[in-house]
Amino acid sequence: MKKDILIGVVCVALLAALPSLVASKYWLGQIVLLFIWVGVVTQWNLVLGYAGVFSLAQMLVFSIGGYTSAMMSTHLGASAWQGLLSGGIVAMVGGAAIGVATLRLSGSYVALLTLGLASVVQSLITVDTTCISFEGDVCRTFTGGASGLSRLPGFGFTELLGYKGAILGSYYLALALMALGSLFVLLTINSPLGHAFRALRDNPAAATARGINLTKYQILVFSMSAFFTGVFGAFYAGYYRAFGPSSLDLPTLLFLMSALIVGGLGRFWGPLLGVALLMGFDEFVKDFSEYRMIGVGLFTVLCVIAFPEGVAGLLAKLKRRVAL
Amino acid sequence: MNLDSILQILISSLTLGGIYAVSAIGIALLWGVMGMLNMAHGTTMAVGAYSTVLAVSALGIPWVLSLPIAIVAGALLGWLLFHFMVRWMLDAATFETNVVVATVGIAIAVKSLLIVLFTANPMRQPFMLEGGFYISKTFVPAQTLVVMIVSLSLMAIVTLVLNRTMMGRAIRATSQNAQAAALMGIPARKVFLHVLMISSAMAAVSGVLVSSVENASPTTGEVALLKVFIICVVAGLGYIPGTILVAFGMALVEVTIQYAIEAKWAYPILVSLALVILVFKPSGLFGVAKVARS
Repeated sequence: MKKDILIGVVCVALLAALPSLVASKYWLGQIVLLFIWVGVVTQWNLVLGYAGVFSLAQMLVFSIGGYTSAMMSTHLGASAWQGLLSGGIVAMVGGAAIGVATLRLSGSYVALLTLGLASVVQSLITVDTTCISFEGDVCRTFTGGASGLSRLPGFGFTELLGYKGAILGSYYLALALMALGSLFVLLTINSPLGHAFRALRDNPAAATARGINLTKYQILVFSMSAFFTGVFGAFYAGYYRAFGPSSLDLPTLLFLMSALIVGGLGRFWGPLLGVALLMGFDEFVKDFSEYRMIGVGLFTVLCVIAFPEGVAGLLAKLKRRVAL
Repeated sequence: MNLDSILQILISSLTLGGIYAVSAIGIALLWGVMGMLNMAHGTTMAVGAYSTVLAVSALGIPWVLSLPIAIVAGALLGWLLFHFMVRWMLDAATFETNVVVATVGIAIAVKSLLIVLFTANPMRQPFMLEGGFYISKTFVPAQTLVVMIVSLSLMAIVTLVLNRTMMGRAIRATSQNAQAAALMGIPARKVFLHVLMISSAMAAVSGVLVSSVENASPTTGEVALLKVFIICVVAGLGYIPGTILVAFGMALVEVTIQYAIEAKWAYPILVSLALVILVFKPSGLFGVAKVARS
């Protein structure tokens, strides 16, 4: 764990120095997106990798955070900063509820229940056309309906740092959130709590016989990982100043799941490696237009076949071999 | 609601249920035997839909005879999937999660390939009987009958194969107890290959049927896939007779909501219903408590 923290500090320091080398707004924007996805996948890893609950509700939790922030800004005039915290808290409650709903299910049943839940929420948001207030003549629905909520206030970096510096503000905020979320996960998995999660994953019968309360820990792991996931959702809403039902689209979820598996499920560095590898490859084949997605699909397949335990698993295996 | 609308609802839900059932059996079979959740099932449906389009337009085969082409195309895709992907992954301890991601990759690649080959624009499905007839005042499209005949006979054939042939016995034995089956000398990998080919062939046929009601497009099967997954789970993963029953039940509920309330509510209500069932019956309606392979 000390080594992980050390590597982490070096990584954060390098990433913090990066904007002085890379001035391109496009690249900084892509890296901010990378930070968001690494943050989300790291929290997902806690549920799917360490606790072994096959939840596909991660983007639902993310959207709960995002919508909380966006709706508070639209209807109550809250700032994006207030949304950041309340997004996390509301997502935590939502995560706990999902944890309760999936308590009695196992394996693939959990996967399909959570997937179904996300798609119900998405379809309910899309059919929402009832006006609850008017802005001039424009009808404002509760959730923004199919087009989502836009023209959100944002974090105010443009006013604070000027037009050019705004991206730097977002960059450092995203980096800080990612580092904080990862530290939280690292501390959790090395605490008694983390051992309980792993025990329930590896042998639920033996773990419960030893007095580990399945109900308590499942709800705990869902709400813990949901907090930071919701914060990232709220950050996404504040950063793009818009949030819509497309965040619940299946391709996004599947991309993040691929990143988690390719990086290494249940390994601390898996999310970072997986997201960086897949986003990097996507960037690499960007110019091939219509053949791009064929490449991305086949690359994912190849990674899963070549590294069944993910890139992080491969690195760990190499390290063992070198040590011998 | 009068008698005519009830008749209309029944006819529509029989058509839809038949399509769902054919697709769901494929998934249930694959799950029951291999513990494999095939996310490329929807794309396989699209491949099936385009194979008949191509067979009729490029090769000039009469439409009635194009269905075997779809079956062959589906089975071939299953063969390719097994030999180029699944067999290399079977030994990993994390097979069940890895295969989900790998089939997602296949789905993305094949769908993009279909867009490159056929463009994203929908095409008319030639496997189609024009016209129709009236039962009292209700119009029944002739295609409804075609869909019903194809799906029912396919279900019958699969049931026969599973119950009466050596291959079927091997499949059922592996699904009941993989270890015991292997000890009795049943080659597990061969069974996996057969199941993957049968499942993909059924997906292809179901794709042809779906596209004959809608249109053939690279996204054919994408919407249906989640519903089919839900059907399998509500029935209890891996149990085929229950899956067929739930497929028709779900179709009936869906069509009734479309007629009685509004089309846009069909999907949310359907899925919510399924979620409620799952919360109270965690292993599905017909599932045994301990279906998961350990």
